[in-house]
Amino acid sequence: MRKFSRAEATAYGFLTVTLVFCLLPFLWVVLASVDPNASLFLSLPKAITADHFVKIFTAENGGRWFFNSLVTVGATTALVIIVAGMGGYALSRTNAWWKRPFLYAIILVRVLPPTALIVPLYKVMLISNGVMGALVRSIVPPDSIRSAMQIFGFVDGYLGLILVLSAMQLPLALWIIKTFFDLTPKDYEEAALMDGANVFQRIRRILVPLALPGLGAAGLLTFIGAWGDFLMPLTFISSANLQLLPIGLFRAFQRANTIDYGYLSALALLYMLPAVVAFGVARGFLVQTFTGGIKG
Amino acid sequence: MAMTYETRVAWQNRMLLVPALVLLAGFILIPAGAAIYISFTNEALSGFAAAHPQLVGLKNYVRLFSDDGFWNSLVVTAFFVFGSSIVGQFVLGLASAMALRRPIAFRPVFNAAILLPNAVPEVVAGFIWISMLAGGKYSTVSRIVGLVGIPPQNWLGSLPLLMIIVVNTWRGIAFAMILMTSGLSAVPTEVYEAARMDGATPRQIFWRITLPLLRPTIFLYMLVSTAGTIAIFGLIYTLTRGGPGGATEIIGIYIYNQSFTAYQLGYGSAVAVIMLGVSVAIGVIYVRVLKVQV
Amino acid sequence: MKSTVLRAGLGLAIMVAAISGAVVSSCTSAQTIRVAEHRQARIDALNRSIPSIEKQLGITIEVVEYPAPEKDYMSKLLTELGAGNAPDLFTANFDSDVADLVSAGYLAPITAEVKAWDGYAQLFDVAKKLSTRANGEIYALDSMLGVEQIYFRRDLLDKAGISTAQPTSWKDLLDRAREIKKKTGKYGLLLPAGISWGGGAFNEGFALFVPGSKTPQIANDDGTLNLNGEGVRDILGLYRSLIDEDLMPIEPLLGPEPWVIPKYTMFPAGDLMATTCGTWCYIYDWGKDSKNPVPDVTRNVGTWAVPGMTGGSSVMVSGRNIWAVNAKSAHLALAKKVLLALSSVDATVAYAQLLGNIPARKDAADNKDFQALTELVPVLKNVENGTFLKSAPGFSVVSEGVARATEALLRKQTNAAGAQAILVKYVKDLLGDKVVK
Repeated sequence: MRKFSRAEATAYGFLTVTLVFCLLPFLWVVLASVDPNASLFLSLPKAITADHFVKIFTAENGGRWFFNSLVTVGATTALVIIVAGMGGYALSRTNAWWKRPFLYAIILVRVLPPTALIVPLYKVMLISNGVMGALVRSIVPPDSIRSAMQIFGFVDGYLGLILVLSAMQLPLALWIIKTFFDLTPKDYEEAALMDGANVFQRIRRILVPLALPGLGAAGLLTFIGAWGDFLMPLTFISSANLQLLPIGLFRAFQRANTIDYGYLSALALLYMLPAVVAFGVARGFLVQTFTGGIKG
Repeated sequence: MAMTYETRVAWQNRMLLVPALVLLAGFILIPAGAAIYISFTNEALSGFAAAHPQLVGLKNYVRLFSDDGFWNSLVVTAFFVFGSSIVGQFVLGLASAMALRRPIAFRPVFNAAILLPNAVPEVVAGFIWISMLAGGKYSTVSRIVGLVGIPPQNWLGSLPLLMIIVVNTWRGIAFAMILMTSGLSAVPTEVYEAARMDGATPRQIFWRITLPLLRPTIFLYMLVSTAGTIAIFGLIYTLTRGGPGGATEIIGIYIYNQSFTAYQLGYGSAVAVIMLGVSVAIGVIYVRVLKVQV
Repeated sequence: MKSTVLRAGLGLAIMVAAISGAVVSSCTSAQTIRVAEHRQARIDALNRSIPSIEKQLGITIEVVEYPAPEKDYMSKLLTELGAGNAPDLFTANFDSDVADLVSAGYLAPITAEVKAWDGYAQLFDVAKKLSTRANGEIYALDSMLGVEQIYFRRDLLDKAGISTAQPTSWKDLLDRAREIKKKTGKYGLLLPAGISWGGGAFNEGFALFVPGSKTPQIANDDGTLNLNGEGVRDILGLYRSLIDEDLMPIEPLLGPEPWVIPKYTMFPAGDLMATTCGTWCYIYDWGKDSKNPVPDVTRNVGTWAVPGMTGGSSVMVSGRNIWAVNAKSAHLALAKKVLLALSSVDATVAYAQLLGNIPARKDAADNKDFQALTELVPVLKNVENGTFLKSAPGFSVVSEGVARATEALLRKQTNAAGAQAILVKYVKDLLGDKVVK
């Protein structure tokens, strides 16, 4: 048997302790999700059940929350990819005077804490909601105004939340995509230009395929960021049928006397899953993202 | 129609940026400006001021300076950032990165384990740590430390600030590790070999070579993670709501509490403006010191 | 590029249309009144009376579940009222919230409807007084009442040989708590306090002692508030003694949801011997169907009226289901009808059954279901003997100020005078110097 050097032993020891520290908290949520008698505290289940997971989609609102989260975060991701794709391309290709100030401004915007913006943001959303409300009232029959506003409203509506989440995730995505386009050669584009392709054709045939990894990275990080966001849905969504997973989870946890821990754990696992998968795929891009803009 | 190719391209670039600009302006820049305006008013969620907000000049800022809660939140934020991002995450992240550079068995397992907490949404993190920490003798942590004879307690009550630092460290080791790994891989192995030839001890190598060469990475990490940690909300909101007695009321939570539970939107905005100022300062340092290439 | 955008836009549109289909199909053609309610027991109570109201008025009622903790409920509701997208009908947590909701312009006046309503004659006088603002208008109807006093573990005090006689003064009350501490080692008396208890620190603790203090009302007719008075300081002094002498549990009060441990765990377990509470304690908190029952609760848990500082005693009556109509409701008239229907005997008795509050109507006493609630029957009979606190604009600020003052006491940062200074400064900062007398 090979003998460990002291340094190696230290490394193994350290990593093992860290591993336990990192994984231990998950033990409870995993066990509780299949325990028919789950409580807030860690215990080995005496039996195993899938009831909690079934309950998410049958008895309780979990399925609805999941659906809402998927819709808003999915739309956010799509929107950010499109908007940041266009913007990132322009930023990469231009040499105009505003390029540098714009990029510096993006860095500053990226560090602005959303909590500090939440009150005025609410006012902006209110005003936009008023405008949208007038618009909706003028075209939609009275009975369905509220349903329409749940989709197109800025406060307590899908659209507003999608736009806000997009704005929050946009700076990072712009930066990633811009960096990515910087690395894609202009040759192909120029060749296509020679062939007489217009800008839209160039983008579709040349740039999108070339930029796909960059767009993918930006999309994944946007997805993770928006999926985990708590403050925006907390502030802007109130209707029960529009509720997102994080708030549903939090509210269910607040029902002091009547918490079903098994159900909550199953829901928490379900909520974690997409983020963990996306993170697993995206983690390779993370380094690029933060080091991309730095001179060596 | 008589546009040259260059002007056309220039216009095209501008047009392509418009949607991004609209989103950023509408939902970030205008609100940031409005925050400054609201901070000079007595705007509230209820009462007469809700219907008729008035400009009150610098009153909110004056009040802020004599408000223990505000100073408390600054101190708590400083400890939180220092403890979790500058000490906890950085030390554990760097150590993990260095340990994982060795040809270690099960490396993917260790790697995945460290990355997992980072992928977990804030609310879930709060939720599972409540099980770890709350409930006196029943909590996981109490049961573990009970093995070495430490009496059980409600950890979020007895050591609240330390606990949220631990939880945030847990969430953030991965980010530090990822950055440090990339920083370490940029150091050429010859440098180490040369040092070893000269008879340097591992400790000397670490302090004299590794750390100095990592400096830009470390600095980048500090800035990004400081800004990120200041902005944390959901994690603390689900764990403690800023309590007990303000012990974990970091500035983001303080703003939220002032604005939405004490209904003082104007005053909350004054605190928010201070927070914005600090964040912009961090951003400016980031841009200037790191000489960001654009 | 255009086609990419178009295609994405089309995709979005299709998705949105699909969702809207799902949302729209869940609405029927009848007019819908949205009612905000929070906490499972309250929602259950509300749901009991909804079918008959829907049938009676030919409408659909949609119950919107709000966050459970009182404070979170109020933040969410206020944000929506400000936004104009709040439900048609909702409750205020406390009487102290109503005046400020009125001055913010959030509530629709309901004076004419309430006075023309057949239930008006049945309302207890105290409910009428609590519901009517200084200008004689009604904006919110106190359809249920909380009757609050001190609840104590008679069984355990008897066992420990401690007197269960009505305390005659604050000093007597404090001495009783000290005796409990000395003889049993348990906490002697809990008064709600601190920021995370929200409106409870004022409404369920501090306020109960106001009538027996040297400042028996806080609101003056001229719109000023008596906060500098000796009475306020004396009450804070009472808090301070309980806290400094370790007579009440402190640690749970500093955390989120501070009532959970003392009221749901410590009191049933006998680790806390007395606390201020309302009749809901007999039903929701410790009743036989509750999650944390005290066996034979009416016998084992006794009540004391809140003693005055130097003598006399009082029982505090305040609004519990304080229904109000959103001034911006699209169906004002209909919402007002639902409000009155929710103040019917049946609807209020449903709340009484599940929560333990007292219907604000005399004729509830004739209801069979109510008569079965033997814990509440005598209380209903005596409702008119209770005292109540006048509330005024600025009371939500006072309530928050009291929470902050008692928080400072909980953290042992100051004395009674210092706590009073915190309260006064907070109110002055927000409402101006002239408001505080």
